[in-house]
Amino acid sequence: MRTTLRNPYVYLLFVVPTIALYFLFFIYPMLTSVFYGFTNWNGLDTKDFIGFDNFVNAFKDEDFRNSIWNNLYILLFSCCVQVPLIIVFSLLISSVKRFQGFYKTTVFMPSILSTSVIGILWGYIYDPDVGLINNILKTFGLDPIYFLADTKWALLSILITNAWQWMGFYIVLILAAILGIPKDIDEAAMIDGATGVQRAWYLTVPLIKPIINVVIMLSIAGALRVVDIVLVMTEGGPAGATDVMASYMVNKAIKYGDYGYGTALSIIIFIFALVLTALYQTLVVRRQEKVEY
Amino acid sequence: MQKKLVSVLALSVAMSAFLAACGSNENNNTASPSPSESASPSPSPSESAPASESTAPEKVENFTVSLRHIQIGDAQKFRKAILDDVVTKTEADVPGLKIELDGVEDSVNRFTKLPAEMAAGNPPKIFDVFGGSGDTQKYAGAGRMLDLTPILDELGLKDKFLSGVLEPFSVDGKVYGLPIGGNTEGIFYNTELFAKYNLNPPTTWDDLIKAADTLKQNGITPFAVGSKGAWVPNMLVNTFIGRIAGEGTNAGFITGASQWNSPDVVAAYQLFADWEKAGYFTKGELGKEYGDMLNDFVAGKAGMMFDGSWRSSAFKNDAVGAEIAGKVAFVNLPAVPNGKGDQSSVNANYGEGYGFSSDLNDNELKAVKAFIKNMYSEEMQLRGLLEDGVLPSMKLTDVSQVTDPIVKQVLDVLNGATASFPHFDSVVQSKVYTETETQLQKLIAGKATAQEVGTAIQKVQDAENAAAAK
Repeated sequence: MRTTLRNPYVYLLFVVPTIALYFLFFIYPMLTSVFYGFTNWNGLDTKDFIGFDNFVNAFKDEDFRNSIWNNLYILLFSCCVQVPLIIVFSLLISSVKRFQGFYKTTVFMPSILSTSVIGILWGYIYDPDVGLINNILKTFGLDPIYFLADTKWALLSILITNAWQWMGFYIVLILAAILGIPKDIDEAAMIDGATGVQRAWYLTVPLIKPIINVVIMLSIAGALRVVDIVLVMTEGGPAGATDVMASYMVNKAIKYGDYGYGTALSIIIFIFALVLTALYQTLVVRRQEKVEY
Repeated sequence: MQKKLVSVLALSVAMSAFLAACGSNENNNTASPSPSESASPSPSPSESAPASESTAPEKVENFTVSLRHIQIGDAQKFRKAILDDVVTKTEADVPGLKIELDGVEDSVNRFTKLPAEMAAGNPPKIFDVFGGSGDTQKYAGAGRMLDLTPILDELGLKDKFLSGVLEPFSVDGKVYGLPIGGNTEGIFYNTELFAKYNLNPPTTWDDLIKAADTLKQNGITPFAVGSKGAWVPNMLVNTFIGRIAGEGTNAGFITGASQWNSPDVVAAYQLFADWEKAGYFTKGELGKEYGDMLNDFVAGKAGMMFDGSWRSSAFKNDAVGAEIAGKVAFVNLPAVPNGKGDQSSVNANYGEGYGFSSDLNDNELKAVKAFIKNMYSEEMQLRGLLEDGVLPSMKLTDVSQVTDPIVKQVLDVLNGATASFPHFDSVVQSKVYTETETQLQKLIAGKATAQEVGTAIQKVQDAENAAAAK
């Protein structure tokens, strides 16, 4: 047996099934979709090769451009609003002495729920007739707000729901990093007379920077691939106000059977995500030195 | 050494064979050994049926046929009952047959599920399908649907259908689908609310506008509508186009005889935008589903709704709209001032029916024939009309038994019409129809003007017409 395992081909043999599956379910579909992206295939008839037409049309397509902007809004919202909030909440939870486990579990809870459940749940919260928020507004004599039916409110409503779902997950990540910082650093600063805010800002935050970077990376990736919550709550409506790249692609390809165009859109989304993450990696993450305690 | 290598090899081969075996369990237990089965190993539900050893003495082969229908939910229960009876009858007619019903919501089936199955080549054996170039004619052109012409001849059904109703289901003179019934789209109004505010029935334009304004002033939505799915408001737009631009307009879009950005069609969109601006429709309509529209109407939150005549069965005593049963009436959209079309024309659609997969073995073909024979009979057509308010697609000898007041009104509307026009969704290409939905929602949201809507749709229409001409 010992000599058998020295034979390198044996190892190759072990990975063959995996590679075959990987090829069948990842490499092959990817290659074919690149091909479909250059055709006008509608899922039924012949596929005609039409060169870069799909890609040119995509950038001429006002609705698709609008959905790119929506993705960028989501990205900005997660990096500029969500991440600071996550850090603040983590710092708060890390310094409570009692029931810390309870807070941790509570904030984490939404991220173990399915997106469909959350979408429907918040759909009721936002409901103009029976919803929680509008009932509160009604008691103050205000007009109901059509959160998911009004083009001005719909995207923000979805962003809040999405933030509610995922913040807990990131909070737990950051909390773990904060609790991993040796206590003596904090105690030394306290003896030197630093206030709580000073200690948080000048000690804790710099020490957890690597994990904050991970959170930002995940947020960027998450913002670019967000689609499930949109499909559950508004299907991209009203009038495309909440369409993101992926939901627009799903509607075009699956709902309206424009597979060629849909595949081209998916390739654009892929390149978009790749470029943005690569940019963040090279510009921000690489420049930082490693934190050592 | 070698031995061990060989045994490891053998083990991994065995493992992968085992894993591979998990993936393919079809073709082992199909009911009948037809050549088409082995040629296309598509995993359709019918093929994974248990091949239970037949217990019947003359060795009847048990087999299943999948049937996709859209009769789900309370509002469809009458139609579902008819379907169930047809299924029971068909199963009795064909020994060994078991029909597996698969109920899917209408628009999910039409726009998501069926297209995907058609693309993959594994549609159900019997399925609900719409006529027109976006549906039946597209699938038939791709060879996915069974040519029914010989079956119709065999069963002697061809002349039993009303004239022209098979058109949307035909390609080059061959019939690929059969319309189950027809409908017209018009105004349902709450007679109690109209009486309360001393309003005349909306049979003239002035009465209609007066009713809408009065209801609005009293805090009641004039027209209930659920525009999350844009096909719902598209019904009204379609009739506006027929009335303002003429009843031939809808059919002319694909030939180039009429244009979406022509002044008349834009005027129809403008009228819709004006109503929108006047607040005639449900607030927050873009977030409301089709079902919400009926709920609002039944709850008395709205005085009218523009809907298809198929909704009439919802206002029976034992149906979802029982609360206002007997207090609902149906009228055609009144004559539009300065409209170019025949102002007593109605929208009449025979767009929905059943189609059949072209991939059938002998047994399944027998089942399909029996299904057609049982479903498209005078008895079932009459039941559809009496129980469900669906207008027959076949010639009926006697309709005097109709007692439902709303169905009577629907029939009156149709009988009083001098001309009819189809809904454009059964005429134009699917990409164009998609664009009408997108643009209409923009119009509702105030993001586009009527002229912009017309121009945008015409752009897609031009491209599709050019592609079709190739």
